[in-house]
Amino acid sequence: MSKKQVCSVDEVAPGTSLRVELEGLPPLAVFNLDGSFYIINDTCSHGEASLCEGEIEDGQVECPWHNARFCIKSGKALTFPAVEPQRAYVTEVSDGMVFLVG
Amino acid sequence: MNPHFEISLAGSESSFACAADDTILRAGLRQGLGLAYECNTGACGSCKFDLLEGEVFDLYPEASGLRAKEREKGKRLACQCVPKADCRIKIRTGDLYRSMVRPARFRARLISYRALTPDMGLFSFKSACPAEFAAGQYAMLTPAAGAMTRAYSMSNTENAEGVWEFIIRAVPGGAVSPLFGGLPEGHEVEIDGPFGVAYFRPQIDRPVVGIAGGSGLAPVLSIMHAAGMDESFTRDLHVFYGGRGPADIPDIPGLLGDAAAKVSCHPAVSMPELAQQQGWQGDVGFVHEFLPEKLKQPLADFEYYMAGPPAMIEAVVRMLVVEHKVAMEQIHFDRFF
Repeated sequence: MSKKQVCSVDEVAPGTSLRVELEGLPPLAVFNLDGSFYIINDTCSHGEASLCEGEIEDGQVECPWHNARFCIKSGKALTFPAVEPQRAYVTEVSDGMVFLVG
Repeated sequence: MNPHFEISLAGSESSFACAADDTILRAGLRQGLGLAYECNTGACGSCKFDLLEGEVFDLYPEASGLRAKEREKGKRLACQCVPKADCRIKIRTGDLYRSMVRPARFRARLISYRALTPDMGLFSFKSACPAEFAAGQYAMLTPAAGAMTRAYSMSNTENAEGVWEFIIRAVPGGAVSPLFGGLPEGHEVEIDGPFGVAYFRPQIDRPVVGIAGGSGLAPVLSIMHAAGMDESFTRDLHVFYGGRGPADIPDIPGLLGDAAAKVSCHPAVSMPELAQQQGWQGDVGFVHEFLPEKLKQPLADFEYYMAGPPAMIEAVVRMLVVEHKVAMEQIHFDRFF
């Protein structure tokens, strides 16, 4: 199992997200929901939009292009036109840094 | 002459002139720009943009394609905005959206009408210019001066004679569709088109499945005509058509004409009580339920073209993508919702 450093916790304020590009992975969206960090793929499974530009509400993110909603914790597609989930990653926080475990 | 305004695109060198009575989207597409869009009617949200400079008038502030929150942030729909000044906008673009046939605005005369079902009719119009479009595309029709504009797909294929055929369903209480019912032969309408990205891709070497409900039959017929008459296209062709009751099912082989021999038709009705009352011997259920049984091959082997009610489109996409692992790229539809 590998651990990749993604960003520092200070870079993602509660209720916001950060787009991060790491080698070997598709662009990532890091979310801070009330101090808990979640990472899913950033590019919407339906179109080509970045979820980091979308609204965050009730633990969901809304794609800025066609308004499909995803569960931030699970990546599940909640509303049409998205039907496929966003890949969700295991996340770990230590020493003020957010890590992707996988 | 109508005043024109200059619309420039942020992050690119591109700009175009837009008349004061034209929408930013259609003016841009007409001038060959690949502005992102699907429905052209304010429903899908694909053409949303940020107005960075300038001023626009919003023809349809209640349009469902934009949420109130987005509106507050200054986002607008290019298909519903006409310019009131020179503007600089930020909008998505892509080659996919650049129409192979440049859209144009022109007039056409009603040359014939025939009923297909109790609430759907086939309307033929003739323009002075040739009818140029890709099979499966749509045009914006304005039935009379001052009337609202609606999108209707062509049911025929491109032709030098300038014949444009549309299937129009009379929507009870609708603002536009009932107007077509009373039009006399020779009446002039405005056609603006072609538009739409759910057109037939003959270069894709897969059997073709057309799925339609209601007046969504038009683009599927167009695609079947095009594929059926193209001698170099030899793959199987299927049409699935869903209606509420037997009376909603038109004579699809009759409409396919010369192409009918190459197309397998699979009609289904969704309301068992109507099926029973009207002595329907065929399939009863929602069209998507019959795809696995009728196609007899893995569903990922086919290319799909669809048009119809939102619930039908969503059910088909969910089934194909989630259950049968069909790639989204193999499913073509313009989202009129």
